[in-house]
Amino acid sequence: MSKSKWLLVGVVICSAAGLLYSQLPGWNRYHGDHKLVILGIDGMDPQLLERFMAEGKMPNFAALARQGSFRRLTTSTPPQSPVAWSNLITGLDPGGHGIFDFIHRDPATMEPYLSTSRVEPPKHNLHLGSWVIPLGGGTAELLRHGAPFWNILEDHGIPTSVFHMPANFPPSASKARTLAGMGTPDLRGGYGTFSFYTDDPTVQAGEVEGGEIIPVMVQNWRVSANLEGPKNSFRKDWPPALVPFTVSVDSVSPVAKIAIQDREFVLREGEWSDWVHVDFSLIPGLESVSGICRFFLKQVHPRFQLYISPVNIDPANPALPLSTPASLSRDLWREVGEFYTQGIAEDTKALSDGVLDDGEYLQQAREVATEQRRIFDAEFPKFHRGVFFFYFSSLDLNGHMMWRLMDSHHPAYDATLAAQYGNALESFYQQIDGVLGKVLPTLDSNTTLLVLSDHGFAPFYRSFNLNTWLLDNGYLALKPGTNQEEGQYFTNVDWSRTRAYGLGLNGLYLNLKGREKDGIVQPGSQANTLLDELRAKLLSVRDPSTGLPAITRMSRTAEVYHGAYAKDAPDFIVGYNRGYRAGWKTILGAFPRQLFEDNTYAWSGDHCMDYSLVPGVLLSNHKIDAQSPALTDIAPTILAEFGIAPGHGMMGHSVFQPVAAPRSQTASLGH
Amino acid sequence: MFGYKLKIEDDLLEKLKKCSEMAGYASVDEFIVHALEKEAAAILGPESSSASEEEIKKRLRGLGYIE
Repeated sequence: MSKSKWLLVGVVICSAAGLLYSQLPGWNRYHGDHKLVILGIDGMDPQLLERFMAEGKMPNFAALARQGSFRRLTTSTPPQSPVAWSNLITGLDPGGHGIFDFIHRDPATMEPYLSTSRVEPPKHNLHLGSWVIPLGGGTAELLRHGAPFWNILEDHGIPTSVFHMPANFPPSASKARTLAGMGTPDLRGGYGTFSFYTDDPTVQAGEVEGGEIIPVMVQNWRVSANLEGPKNSFRKDWPPALVPFTVSVDSVSPVAKIAIQDREFVLREGEWSDWVHVDFSLIPGLESVSGICRFFLKQVHPRFQLYISPVNIDPANPALPLSTPASLSRDLWREVGEFYTQGIAEDTKALSDGVLDDGEYLQQAREVATEQRRIFDAEFPKFHRGVFFFYFSSLDLNGHMMWRLMDSHHPAYDATLAAQYGNALESFYQQIDGVLGKVLPTLDSNTTLLVLSDHGFAPFYRSFNLNTWLLDNGYLALKPGTNQEEGQYFTNVDWSRTRAYGLGLNGLYLNLKGREKDGIVQPGSQANTLLDELRAKLLSVRDPSTGLPAITRMSRTAEVYHGAYAKDAPDFIVGYNRGYRAGWKTILGAFPRQLFEDNTYAWSGDHCMDYSLVPGVLLSNHKIDAQSPALTDIAPTILAEFGIAPGHGMMGHSVFQPVAAPRSQTASLGH
Repeated sequence: MFGYKLKIEDDLLEKLKKCSEMAGYASVDEFIVHALEKEAAAILGPESSSASEEEIKKRLRGLGYIE
């Protein structure tokens, strides 16, 4: 046998999940008759759940809590969905899986980026006139590290299906059936970009936060416009691929006929189309990218207003990987039709930007929930052995958007809208109760059920502008002559005089010499002294309008994170008080003048706070022995159900076993 | 499925395994990929990934948590 061994160095997706073939004792205890069902419900809040159960609005949850167990589930630090679901997936904390926030920064450039995946174009191209021929394909790379629980299960021969799991795009290489969830981009590569066409001259054209406002003219009762798709990497300068379409407007009635490629359909005002398939031609006749989108005819007269959803990756012919096996998304499409593939499907930005009103947004959000239920209803009856995981998004996104209409203390509360939509979030909770009602009758003595959420929810009343505080207190400096309120992404920061900066929803970093591009703080005692000082000062900040502390916990990551990636983490995770969150502009490195601001946005509920204030839920049909179960216990629990010992580095224990030792995850300097 | 194969001598492999365990990586593969990425970034420098403000904005667009 050769002295050398072959190692596989994956440059794309597959490397992290690779060779974790643990020869663990006990896996042969699996006899093929045990089953585990997991309902993953993003953002289900224990206080709201208890209230709705007490009011008799969630009878299936009440029955499960009564006959089985109901606990609060300790969430991640910070309690953000990509972080929390990565804790669940890997059984590791962020130091082990490397996801610390929705947004990370590259210390070599100080540029922010989305934390869970990276989509790269082809690295080498052949230039022929105005054409650029890529030599090789582009890549999508999952940035989460650590072995997902389903790979360990499959390595032990246990069939596993995982639907819409967040922080798993592109899906890590696996023998399991997996469908990507939160983190999956639209065809334009972001979290979702809608298009809104109008002839209203009072609406400002151009890019808005979640989309684009496109001015059009109605001439002879006809509108001609283009739908923008992905960048065409085959063309010099990568112009966007466009698909032209026309809208014929009825001169009297609020009706229009839309023609796009080979499709024609009629919409009434206020009506949504079904999914429309669109092909974006890259090289005519040779290369195209397939997408799907939905049209909403918001208004015909007196002003033309047409919304088109972000163009989603087509599940029937995905341009980027959506599932393992790759055929799964196509099989689902055959069975249930088209469905949203972008990771965050509820178009919250269209509501925030005023493109959709509350009623229109809720129509769209309900359709997302209906689609998820349709996939669940198609897949759950096929489950007969192993593990079945299904994720539901609606309580999280609608908790964010609808909180203001059920909380009269909220700065964005509107009594008229509250009368119409104040129970919207409650109705989404009841829909989830309906899903549980479908599962409970199927449970037999061989089946364990876990119903869990990644975090709870809280009102988001007030913003705290962390970078403004750092600037005001001399920890951060701007370039001379800079207007404080201009620019973002730290473009005006004088790094030679900056000792600390905030980035992301909960991250606070030192400008550390040897790590940051222009770091000035010496690692060691200088850094530690500065961290102590920052912690003490930030914990003492009071909101002048309420007298409440803005921050209740400062978690030093060097102490609460474990694993190889802890060194890439922010130095502190800032834990905001209930009702408070990082300000809208501070997150990406801007400096509003006001330290505190009322949150008057539609995005009115949140959870990116002190983790101890927003626990999730954990319910089971079996007795949960752990008194303070945590997300990092879930992967070990899943494995233990099949007699498999925890994977390498997993820090938790099965929740069905009592745990005496205190949990290191909860250690924090703030308390 | 995998991008590239690299031949590594046994003694180096043993060292890498030890390092990956000490540093807390889930596998030796993960450790090697991470080490190579860091080295490549150090050699290529910031220019290799620098993007315009507009590009950054587009990448982050649509995330409800940011304005």
